[in-house]
Amino acid sequence: MNFKTLLMGASFVVGLTLAPLVAMAQNSGGNLVYLVQPEPPSLASFLSTSGPIGLVGPKIYDGLFDYDTDLQIVPSLAESYEVSEDGKTVTFKLREGVVWHDGAPFTSSDVAFTVMDVLKQVHPRGPNSFREVTSIDTPDDYTAVFNLENPAPYMLRALSAYESPMVPKHLLEGQDLRSSDLATNPVGTGPFTFTEWKKGQYIRLDKNENYWKPGLPLINRIVGRFIPDASTRTAAMENGEVMYGAYGAIPNIDAVRLREMDGFSVTTDGYAMINPMALIEFNTTKPPFDNPAMRRAVSLVMDRQFLIDNIWFGYGKPATSALSSNFDKVGLYKSGLPNYPASGDLDAAIKELDDAGIMPDADGIRASITLDLIPYGEDWRRAGEYMKQAMKPLGIEVELRYEDVPTWLNRIYAEYDFEMNVNYFYQLPDPVLGVHRHYGTDQIRQGTHFVNSSQYSNPALDALLAAGAQEPDATKRAGIYGEIQTILATDMPVANLFEMEFLTVYNDKLADHATSAMGAYGPFENAIVAE
Amino acid sequence: MESSQRRTRYVLKRLFQAIPIVFAIVVLNFFLLQLAEGDAVDVLAGEAGSATPEYMAELREKFGLDQPLIVQLGVYLKNVVTLDLGYSFRHDMPVSELVLDRFIPTLLLMTSTIILAVGFGILLGLVAASGLNTWRDTAISIFALITYATPLFWVGLMLIVVFSLNLGWFPTSGMENFAMFYEGWDRVVDIAHHLVLPTITLSLFYLALYTRLMRASMLEQAGQDYVTTARAKGLTERRILFVHVLRNAILPVVTMAGVQVGALIGGSVIVESVFAWPGLGMLAFEALFARDLNLLLGIFLLSAVLVVAVNLIVDIIYSTLDPRIEMA
Repeated sequence: MNFKTLLMGASFVVGLTLAPLVAMAQNSGGNLVYLVQPEPPSLASFLSTSGPIGLVGPKIYDGLFDYDTDLQIVPSLAESYEVSEDGKTVTFKLREGVVWHDGAPFTSSDVAFTVMDVLKQVHPRGPNSFREVTSIDTPDDYTAVFNLENPAPYMLRALSAYESPMVPKHLLEGQDLRSSDLATNPVGTGPFTFTEWKKGQYIRLDKNENYWKPGLPLINRIVGRFIPDASTRTAAMENGEVMYGAYGAIPNIDAVRLREMDGFSVTTDGYAMINPMALIEFNTTKPPFDNPAMRRAVSLVMDRQFLIDNIWFGYGKPATSALSSNFDKVGLYKSGLPNYPASGDLDAAIKELDDAGIMPDADGIRASITLDLIPYGEDWRRAGEYMKQAMKPLGIEVELRYEDVPTWLNRIYAEYDFEMNVNYFYQLPDPVLGVHRHYGTDQIRQGTHFVNSSQYSNPALDALLAAGAQEPDATKRAGIYGEIQTILATDMPVANLFEMEFLTVYNDKLADHATSAMGAYGPFENAIVAE
Repeated sequence: MESSQRRTRYVLKRLFQAIPIVFAIVVLNFFLLQLAEGDAVDVLAGEAGSATPEYMAELREKFGLDQPLIVQLGVYLKNVVTLDLGYSFRHDMPVSELVLDRFIPTLLLMTSTIILAVGFGILLGLVAASGLNTWRDTAISIFALITYATPLFWVGLMLIVVFSLNLGWFPTSGMENFAMFYEGWDRVVDIAHHLVLPTITLSLFYLALYTRLMRASMLEQAGQDYVTTARAKGLTERRILFVHVLRNAILPVVTMAGVQVGALIGGSVIVESVFAWPGLGMLAFEALFARDLNLLLGIFLLSAVLVVAVNLIVDIIYSTLDPRIEMA
């Protein structure tokens, strides 16, 4: 018996024992059609954190870790990790026997390449997440040692498939990362393999038969559909043509209706890792918002609960600090700060302005300003209408401006041609990743989107931000972030409005889709569709 | 023989005349689109979450957006002459590939719409005119008025509510069933099934127009001398109506249908969005918001060519319907 027949015989026996298992798994999974809105520009999740890319990418790519619903680390491509005493070396033990969708083995050189040559270079948040990483050693195929300049505790929360996807070195090395074929034809290690992208219609992924988690994924095929009209998306959901819509794909107004119907469910789970916060950015370089009293007055007069109840149908929590209260879990949140009333406090706002000597003129006007609104849907327009009314008794005359996305981005982040801008940001699982970008002097980067457009600069705060990023001791770190939040509640370069709760609407035939903190940006390997 | 030669020469002449027109459209569109603030790089970087100014400058250089406007126009025109429509930065694909891929669904929707709208428009107009001031005429006129006045997106949504949600006869959106991925004839049937609601929605508006036009045209022709002559010859009313009057009355409808092919692409933006129909209208809409100007210009160019071609076809049909119209 030569080697080849032995091998065939062995695989035959293995095949026989596994066949019933495989057949069962194939029958049990079903096909999932879900909403991807809008159509993504590419599938290069190593280049872009764009929402629609996030809905697809993590099903194809794995990260080193996943995170459970309490934000605790769950092993993924890394089975374990160890942080050295001084916090400057992190050693990851990688899973053995993982292969890329093209059959090549996944090794530590892929990890080193992904972090050093891809994420640190071209990813929007990578340079920040891996700022302290100076080099990565690969003593063997399944060990990756990250050498850090300074301790970076937040880095361990940025290793999910969405935030830091591991990409194949053998397909990307030596290529122009930004125009690589992988952007439209992704090859990962994840539970689903990329099959087809029909522009304007759908993206199709099929089950990865060689996935490293035995017996998973359960679903045979995942199809992401693009439907531009919100009412049609709801109708398609109601009709059973799609089974899952996250990140506002089904507007709240329809979600509350579907919630009451048989066969559909609505959940706010699966957004813990994103931590979205609605807020107002002030232009602190020109009147009237160069005066902190003006900014505080606006924050005081905002009826946060009104916005939540009447515009977002009860979904959301009033902001009480520059940090989301979700950071309470990791001890960084500080409660009881001033200038953050849940319901607007007109008297306090008026007093604030009077004390600062900002008096109304003969017509009762203290300031006339333009309020820009994030052009991401009708909700924001309605919020703008409310704000206009809320500021009127303060003597602030507001004109609303609603433009299309490129014009708006250009105005706010390139021209700084605004006074007050309503927006929302992801605070992400650590303030270093999602919050620092609003306030650091080094984050005043003209022409770069979604950073410190308020152009707020405070050396004392800069020092605290730098300290907070590097402090490995949890108690000391909490103290630093307490100080940061106190300064921000007084200076208020940005008025946080409310912690947003995004809605996921799904057909009850679909189960186990929100098993990680990533929700819709998760891999869906446990999800199952009943026939 | 002579007539077919003349026809070929006429077609060639018309095509030749069309070149400067298309050229002018391209240049005009190019400058019009420059009026929009922000560019493709802004949108790409905005969607990505953030990007360094260096990266954005690098992208602008790569896309040629850092060049003076006149240079960009020159490059574009040079490409168009060689039938190269340029590159869509957003989709990371050649424009021609994208546009042709989306042209087929649009063509499908437009063809079925024209057939439905013109066919039923002529029929309803005929019925209304032949029963002047009877209940038939009144009913058809009211129907035409209502369909003309109703917004397209509302009609689309109502059809979805009634025929997809309540009756379950048709799918709500898309061009195919994505859970199944049919092949062969099953796929043809599946696509036809998906085509029904968008076609009806887009047809209703134009149907009203053609109905009214046909009715007026029929009435006008009915009073002409040749009708009286025909009647004097002892022809049956039926023959007068279908052979004499109809042939003449149809001319303005055909003209109108030709003119409206361009407008149809515009109107289809709404219908395509409501029904998630993967056509050119939707592509144009998205391209505008992504500031994907190459792509938008490509779509405009194709539409312009389409309008020119359809007008030529209409003129040929015209001369067949009415041989007195000279091809010169």
